[in-house]
Amino acid sequence: MAETHQELLARLERESRAKQEQFMNFIAGKLGRPRVTAPPQHPFRGAPDFWNALEWPLEERVAKFTENFKAVGGQAIRLSGIVEAGAFIVSKAAEMSARYIVRQDQQSLAELGLESLLPEARVSVWNEDPNEDWKACAAEADFGVVLADYAAAYTGSITVLSDKTKGRSVSLLPTALFALIPIERLKTRLGEILSDFDRAGRENLPAGIHFISGPSRSADIENDLTIGVHGPGIVYALIIG
Amino acid sequence: MSAYKTKGSVKERAELALNDDFLRKAVKFTTERLRIGKMNAAEQHGNWEEWRERGRQIRLHTIAHLDYYLNLFVENARANGVHVHFAPTGAEAVRIALAVAQSKAAKTVVKSKSMVTEELHLNHALQDIGVEAIETDLGEYIIQLAGETPSHIIIPAIHKNRYQIAELLSKEAGEALEADTTILAGFVRKKLREKFLEADIGMTGCNFAIAETGSMVLFENEGNARMVTTVPKTQITLMGMERIIPSWTDLEVMATLLPRSATGQKLTVYMSGITGPRRTEDADGPEEMHIIIVDNGRSNQLGDPEFQELLNCIRCGACLNACPVYRHIGGHAYGGTYSGPIGAVLTPALQKNVAEWDDIANASSLCGACYEACPVKIPLHDMLVYLRRRKVEAGHGKALETIGMRGFGTVAGQPGIMGAAVKLGQLGQRLVVRDGGIRLKVGPLKGWNKYRVAPTLAKRSFRQQWEALKRETANTGQTMDPVVKARMEAILKERAKGGGGRHG
Amino acid sequence: MKVSLFITCLSDVIYPRVGEAMVRLLARYGVKLEFPRAQTCCGQPAYNSGYWDEARKTARTILDAFDESDFVVSPSGSCTYMIHHYPELFKDEPVYLEKSNRLQEKTYEFTQFLVQVLDVKDLGAKFPRKVTYHPSCHGSRLLGVKDEPLELLQHVEGLEFVPLPFAQDCCGFGGTFAVKMADISGAMVTEKVDHILETEAEVLVGLDMACLMNIAGNLRFRNEPVRVMHLAELLYEGVKEA
Repeated sequence: MAETHQELLARLERESRAKQEQFMNFIAGKLGRPRVTAPPQHPFRGAPDFWNALEWPLEERVAKFTENFKAVGGQAIRLSGIVEAGAFIVSKAAEMSARYIVRQDQQSLAELGLESLLPEARVSVWNEDPNEDWKACAAEADFGVVLADYAAAYTGSITVLSDKTKGRSVSLLPTALFALIPIERLKTRLGEILSDFDRAGRENLPAGIHFISGPSRSADIENDLTIGVHGPGIVYALIIG
Repeated sequence: MSAYKTKGSVKERAELALNDDFLRKAVKFTTERLRIGKMNAAEQHGNWEEWRERGRQIRLHTIAHLDYYLNLFVENARANGVHVHFAPTGAEAVRIALAVAQSKAAKTVVKSKSMVTEELHLNHALQDIGVEAIETDLGEYIIQLAGETPSHIIIPAIHKNRYQIAELLSKEAGEALEADTTILAGFVRKKLREKFLEADIGMTGCNFAIAETGSMVLFENEGNARMVTTVPKTQITLMGMERIIPSWTDLEVMATLLPRSATGQKLTVYMSGITGPRRTEDADGPEEMHIIIVDNGRSNQLGDPEFQELLNCIRCGACLNACPVYRHIGGHAYGGTYSGPIGAVLTPALQKNVAEWDDIANASSLCGACYEACPVKIPLHDMLVYLRRRKVEAGHGKALETIGMRGFGTVAGQPGIMGAAVKLGQLGQRLVVRDGGIRLKVGPLKGWNKYRVAPTLAKRSFRQQWEALKRETANTGQTMDPVVKARMEAILKERAKGGGGRHG
Repeated sequence: MKVSLFITCLSDVIYPRVGEAMVRLLARYGVKLEFPRAQTCCGQPAYNSGYWDEARKTARTILDAFDESDFVVSPSGSCTYMIHHYPELFKDEPVYLEKSNRLQEKTYEFTQFLVQVLDVKDLGAKFPRKVTYHPSCHGSRLLGVKDEPLELLQHVEGLEFVPLPFAQDCCGFGGTFAVKMADISGAMVTEKVDHILETEAEVLVGLDMACLMNIAGNLRFRNEPVRVMHLAELLYEGVKEA
């Protein structure tokens, strides 16, 4: 009888565990020393000290983020609150004739009031019905609306983390992406964000952590910049606050 | 992949490339842009040397403790629910990937850019068992349609122009597409969107793997790697065993060095850290995730003091863009999966028969531009010399060259003989000198004089004139400035103390 | 104080005028160069081609020849940098290893010696021509001689300096590379000369006769009248002219 997939996985697992010791011992042997099993001293962990000391004041963070995000073809706008953000997205929906919007299932995104402000358009909330094919929904959407978990000014990056209420597809599959950045989440350096993941530890990390620094692009044809190859070609970073 | 070797020599393939005017123009144009982009980005960021050194230290440390960090990664990735596999050889990696694909009854695999899978020729292996493997990076997709291999690790289709690309894509579209970048990319977006949604397996490489959390990190601009790791139900990642870094904190250094060195970007549009398959209640991301850890010759470098640093490479392609040889001959002339300076060293190094490999290590003027460009300071120019030496030591030197070099050793090893040889040359050259130059195209002068006029030996060498010159300058009566004299004496004292005396 | 000239093969047998210029220029600062006759070649052709036994053979002549010198000055960044490989070549021969380390400390490329040791940047030279400069790879990248030649050129009266586009690119010489990979090397030197011609300079100046021989050979092949000079020659001519 043919091996089932579960049986295959179990067999590969056994093989893997058997090979693991061999593999590691072989490496240690090549390095000419016994296996290292205790954490080694790592004096050069992370960025140089002078870098870790860099922290811009808020206004500079906003200015630099905006500058960097725009430089790569994204749009960055500062808005005073959620209501203004809602109005902004609504105006863009009218401008671009958006008919279908997918948003993450988060309180502040609900407060945008898109459902009531855009009676003509369909607005879906990610994963509200577990039986729906949400990837297909996101692929059909004109707009994806997400709430950034972090942003970094120095590189002009938005960070989004996945969970059951926050689909990875929402920031990826729609034609245009709107990312709300609560201003207090805007950091100076990438390192401020990355070190949070070390602090959180393996068990607490989401499956997907994505840094987004502008619209999808490619320079693969004659080094000519093309926007929107696979991911969203239109990206709005809305800094709130 | 010891069985894989392109026909002919680097020299022969280079000659073909040098006659391909378009290829040379295309490669020059793009590498130049990338190189300038990188230099500007490094300068704008500032303290580049410190960052390089930091990057190098992190890589050195990780490789020196690879058994520890790799094992830690494996344990953490398993705890995240990843199926981890070990592949000492390329064939083993292929076997595991195919077993999973077959068991899943996969019809299509969507792939994001991965040099490891190029090493393994995995696409062919998948096709052989009836699985369609689709490259989704725009450049890779073009190359796949052309039935070629990437000629640059960052810009795979660097050697093709938009008209060639339009022709390829038009065939695929079944209609004539205009040679306009936006139209061409638009077609690929639409075409591949369907493929992403129907694919059974997403296959990726791995830029970095974070030991402490078992996460894998991908850098990309198009979003296709995110597609590949978000949409299909199964993800298979192939990673070189040396891709490890200890922590997310260390990732900041790599994220600083890699995009700037590759394309001059502050960060690629997407940087994704994936920690295991989807969580139970997530509505996207792969349900099943495999990571295949590939050796395939990498361990040959471990413990080899001359080559271990090769494992520090972060695959940014900066050495290709800086290399004047690459600029003229493109990537395919190198004949291996990896091209340019890194390829010239890595290709022979990944094989065990380093010494027997063809003339790839000779395709360098040893100018050191690769080393200068490398974000982790790999001394590629030195490694090329080590490769040449190993070839000679193993008795694979070219007979004629060996005779020449022995002769060189004998002549230049003894001042008397050298002087006599010079005199002989001064006499002999009278036969071939015309207008104070030599245009003859024979022997070693053949290649030289194809592009140049060779100089003649001076009528009287410096050595022969020295006594007269010495007498002449002895009479100038100029004395040394006491300040200078004091400085020179101080330098001598410093040296005598040991430690001092180094100068730049 | 014993300051010795490390002439290098090319300057010895093909371009003795470079050595002459150095001797005469340095004499003006009271530096009486000595010339140890036992020196031959630094061994770089053999070293780079992988023939390290042969490289060691010739390296020993250099190590012995300069054993007594306090300072060694050479007209080539590349040959000077070759000495930095000696400790590696002689790592198993303690006597020569020690000599190697000492020679590395005391050897200076010509402009390094002028600027770093003599602290001379302005030689009072006059050279009213349009000049461009090719920084040779080993001298500039590996030995780190970047600012010295530019500083010296800046102080030459009447000299019109034109930066060379893509100056940092290798000229394609690379020793045996030029013979083994003749067509690639040919393409590189052709490109280098194209850039030189773009500058419309009358003179190309450099610090390494190997690269300059390569470039001059292609200029001559193309019947281009650009004059190729080592910086020592240019400065000496300029000093005479002043």
